[in-house]
Amino acid sequence: MSTLLTHIAISDGKIKRSSLEVLSHLRRQAEQHGHQVEAVIIDAEASRYTGQVQQYGPSKIYTVENPVFKNHLNAPLLKALEKVIEQADPSLVAFASTESTKDILGALAAREEAAVLSDVSTFELTEEGIRATRPVMAAKILSENEARGDMILVSVRSGSYDLEEQASDAEVIEIDFSVDDQDLRATLEEIISSSGDTIDLSEAETIVAAGRGAKDEKGQQLISELADVLNAGVGASRALTEAGVMDPSLQIGQTGKVVSPQLYIAVGISGAIQHVAGMASSKVIVAINKDPDAPIFDIADYGIVGDLYDVLPPFIDELKKIAS
Amino acid sequence: MKFYVCIKQVPDIDAPIQIKNGNLIQDTDRTVLNAYDASAVEEALVLTEKHGGEVEVVLIGPNQAKETIRKALAMGAHKATHIETREESYDSSVYASILASFFEDKDYDVISCGKQSQDTDAGLTGSMLAEHLDLPYSTNAVALSAQNGQLRVKRQGDAGQELIALPLPCLVSCSNDMNEPRIPSLKGIMQSKRKPMETIALDALEIDESALEAKTAVTGYREKPKREAGQKFEGEPEETARQVARLLDEEANVV
Amino acid sequence: MDEKFDCIIVGAGIAGLAAAMILARNNMKFLLIEKGDFAGSKNVSGGVLWGSDLARLVPEYWKEEDGGWERYINHRRLTFMDRESTFSIDFKSSHFNAPPYSGVVVLRSRFDRWLADKVQEAIDDSDFAMESFIATSIKVDEVLMEDDKATGIRTGEEEFHADSVIIAEGVNNLLTRQAGLQDDYVPADHMLTGIKEVIRLDQKVLEDRFQLNGLSGMSNEFIGYATDGVEGGGFLYTNRDTVSLGLVAGIRDMREKEKSPHDLLNQFKNHPVIQDTIRGGEVVEYSAHVVSSGDKQVMPKALYKDGLLLCGEAANLLMNAGKAIQGMDFAMRSGILGAETIIHAKKKGDFSSQTLQEYRRKLDETYVMKDINQFQDAVHMLHSPEMFRDIPNLVCDFGRKFFTIDSKPTRKSRRLFAESVKKHSSYWDLIKLGFKGGKSL
Ligand SMILES: Cc1cc2nc3c(=O)[nH]c(=O)nc-3n(C[C@H](O)[C@H](O)[C@H](O)COP(=O)(O)OP(=O)(O)OC[C@H]3O[C@@H](n4cnc5c(N)ncnc54)[C@H](O)[C@@H]3O)c2cc1C
Ligand SMILES: Cc1cc2nc3c(=O)[nH]c(=O)nc-3n(C[C@H](O)[C@H](O)[C@H](O)COP(=O)(O)OP(=O)(O)OC[C@H]3O[C@@H](n4cnc5c(N)ncnc54)[C@H](O)[C@@H]3O)c2cc1C
Ligand SMILES: Nc1ncnc2c1ncn2[C@@H]1O[C@H](COP(=O)(O)O)[C@@H](O)[C@H]1O
Repeated sequence: MSTLLTHIAISDGKIKRSSLEVLSHLRRQAEQHGHQVEAVIIDAEASRYTGQVQQYGPSKIYTVENPVFKNHLNAPLLKALEKVIEQADPSLVAFASTESTKDILGALAAREEAAVLSDVSTFELTEEGIRATRPVMAAKILSENEARGDMILVSVRSGSYDLEEQASDAEVIEIDFSVDDQDLRATLEEIISSSGDTIDLSEAETIVAAGRGAKDEKGQQLISELADVLNAGVGASRALTEAGVMDPSLQIGQTGKVVSPQLYIAVGISGAIQHVAGMASSKVIVAINKDPDAPIFDIADYGIVGDLYDVLPPFIDELKKIAS
Repeated sequence: MKFYVCIKQVPDIDAPIQIKNGNLIQDTDRTVLNAYDASAVEEALVLTEKHGGEVEVVLIGPNQAKETIRKALAMGAHKATHIETREESYDSSVYASILASFFEDKDYDVISCGKQSQDTDAGLTGSMLAEHLDLPYSTNAVALSAQNGQLRVKRQGDAGQELIALPLPCLVSCSNDMNEPRIPSLKGIMQSKRKPMETIALDALEIDESALEAKTAVTGYREKPKREAGQKFEGEPEETARQVARLLDEEANVV
Repeated sequence: MDEKFDCIIVGAGIAGLAAAMILARNNMKFLLIEKGDFAGSKNVSGGVLWGSDLARLVPEYWKEEDGGWERYINHRRLTFMDRESTFSIDFKSSHFNAPPYSGVVVLRSRFDRWLADKVQEAIDDSDFAMESFIATSIKVDEVLMEDDKATGIRTGEEEFHADSVIIAEGVNNLLTRQAGLQDDYVPADHMLTGIKEVIRLDQKVLEDRFQLNGLSGMSNEFIGYATDGVEGGGFLYTNRDTVSLGLVAGIRDMREKEKSPHDLLNQFKNHPVIQDTIRGGEVVEYSAHVVSSGDKQVMPKALYKDGLLLCGEAANLLMNAGKAIQGMDFAMRSGILGAETIIHAKKKGDFSSQTLQEYRRKLDETYVMKDINQFQDAVHMLHSPEMFRDIPNLVCDFGRKFFTIDSKPTRKSRRLFAESVKKHSSYWDLIKLGFKGGKSL
């Protein structure tokens, strides 16, 4: 029997749902293969979250608590993970694929001499390690991968697995941790434009995404109206983040975020492969575009050909009616 | 400042591809300079143009990858090292080990990588290399500047952007959101032929056998479940908009 | 770095690459400039490269393991088409099986790139390995002229100088006009739009369906319903594991009949016979490009000037006389001749039009100009409504009656033919057309 460790990501004072998805999946895998599942929380207030994590059935929860984790910095995070790994001695460490994970996954693999697969959409345990599926070529196709070795790291795209609660009274183990300036190596000088209380796109049920077609003020106004009616997160194509119209953290696609909401409404977005790479696994896709040949229509469940300035007002109006 | 930029030749993801017996076949074997690396080259050029210094590119790949090195030289990089391999490609950890052994005896201020390969989106090599070389690093940089012997990195994080100061020498992996890479001028293309390019055979680096052994393997490729185009509504916007809104409620149950 | 080139070639299409190959082989210092990301990136042909000049550029190209070509043609078919039928003239012969082939199907983005690599190899083997270049992603904005003599080119802010310039920019000949060799205004009557899809089939299915053997291939031209009454025609060529299916249609005629190329192609694809041909295929590429009608009237006034030559479709060297589109082979031959003329001029140390007129003389002697001159009537005929509308209808109507066996007394085919003629044309028109045809072919 070996240990499967799940990293629990915290963002804006909340547990990232995607890490609980990973934990749910790992627990099922562990049951099948007779392993045990443990979790690790690394945060300035790590202990605050243990109760919630227990709902998902790990047998142990490691916490590493230190003010340094208030903001993301790779050196202390790596050091903390190294300590936990030393103690838990896992054969697999699984992460939700976040920007923070991406920052450290390679380094951690090198440090632990572990095999690593990033950004997988599914994975399962095998005799020697794991087998995993990864979208490649801008998510146009899937590759099948194997990772072998005594320790394997994997990061998982959000929305890959369903949440499944199974409460446990997991033992909480606090890991002693301190940092000095030398450990930090880099100085975090400022956090710019944290998107604050806006909806986290990687967890949003509904996303309204704006593209170059909705670049002007009036377009932006309509987008936020639509998002309000649907209680949706607002995302953007690169055309808008590049132009400074939208915050860069809202970019969806190969460079930006990968999302998989129940409903994705693409407004004035052409559907370049690099954008589609980030949203093609949405459950229902609606596209509003005035060009009937726009590639976005090839993947849309509902395509409205028309000028967004004409389409959105009645669309919003009708949705309001439905809501009330 | 001395910049080393690690560049990779990748298949053009815009070119048509197909899967035959689990293998990935590109109709044209078109390759390009990884877009994220192009941004890394661009940024290194901008910084050395401002602060003085030199940009050297390093590429691991087969002989045909020289074309990609030329592209970076034509953009303005000053020199290049080509670590020549046979046909096959490796996983990120092998590339990182090879790069690490190359950099062992080199002097530099900054090593730049792309944040990920366009074809595999792995995003691992940069931080692996930093770990091997024990360098402070940052990934997913969207802006760089140099100040007081430090590299200041604006990093796109999960929620907002982090402004991080790294002491030199350091490593940074670059997003394409950082700039528009310049298109080489004709003069640049002509000069690129005469710029120094050193070719090192992989064997000459004397890397540990075990470091060259991949711990991961691609065992096959598969089509994605095809997403069929659904209904397309053309006509009076007033009509179609309301119709689709109702369908989202009644048929798709998502509002 | 500012030294002068012997020649600067604008455009790495067929004409430019052919010229470059000859220059490299003859130790000339030159620059080949292409605006696309790579040679062939935006180029479109059906396309069959006819003739045997490819073997002059790349000797024994068919022995290359990964040549840039798809299949050689040993099977040709000309099809008349109406709404529901096709009537074909079909010829296949093992005579065409041995290299040098008289026609190979190419996909330009692959072929041009392959040929560019071959040119690069020739450069590497030449005396000017370090001084000759193929430069891509560079658009030439202007041909520099001094006292009406070409002296180089400008791209953006940069100028480069040479003893000679070859314009091989293809059909949108902006530089040709700027150099004063072509009128600014070329009537739309003389331009067609070509559109094409590359459709993938399982290779085995493709080979069985088209009775291909090894690398043999088929070319099929269509007239009639393929363009639905619009001037032009359709084509289908077999590649390794895809077919190229497309059409060319007159831009003005399309505008007048309010048809879009896209709709025409869809309609063509939905023809029952075409459906059977491409069933199960997947569209993997779509492209469109303008192509000249090949009418001699719009040929540039002159193909040379002091220090300047025009090659390929920039010089309107193209012929579409029904049985094939010939643009690539003309481009290749003219590129070869152009380069040979430059080499000759270099030896003489004289790049004036006095020397360069040799190019036109040589071209006139080859099949290129001879065919263009002789088949003008055929070109005109093909672009006449009788040919792309009445005749295909007539032929198919006749075919339908002739091949119908329906338990009624069978009528003499002469009677059937007369009926079809009456329905779609008149004997008088047909006689006129036959006479014209007989004269022109
Ligand atoms: C390495 C790399 C990574 C990239 N990563 C990303 C990424 O992460 N995310 C991303 O989005 N892009 C990314 N891109 C860029 C991508 O290729 C496209 O350029 C970008 O997605 C285009 O954005 P767009 O669809 O908004 O703009 P456009 O392509 O310009 O499309 C605008 C659309 O709006 C429509 N339109 C205009 N006006 C109206 C109107 N009034 N009503 C209705 N419709 C209208 C137009 O018909 C058009 O289809 C990347 C590119 C590269 C090379
Ligand atoms: C649908 C279609 C089907 C066809 N089928 C056939 C066929 O089956 N057989 C056949 O023989 N012919 C066919 N043709 C015609 C054939 O494609 C052309 O005649 C041929 O490509 C002409 O070659 P070229 O070298 O003169 O020009 P092109 O091949 O057009 O090359 C011109 C090159 O110059 C470059 N260029 C242009 N301007 C500049 C500039 N300012 N700076 C730098 N570079 C520049 C272009 O990017 C291009 O690469 C077809 C054409 C079409 C559209
Ligand atoms: N073969 C290689 N040669 C040089 N640099 C490479 C190579 N492979 C990866 N890299 C660097 O690592 C980055 C991508 O890492 P990854 O996504 O892990 O493949 C690239 O943007 C390069 O900077």
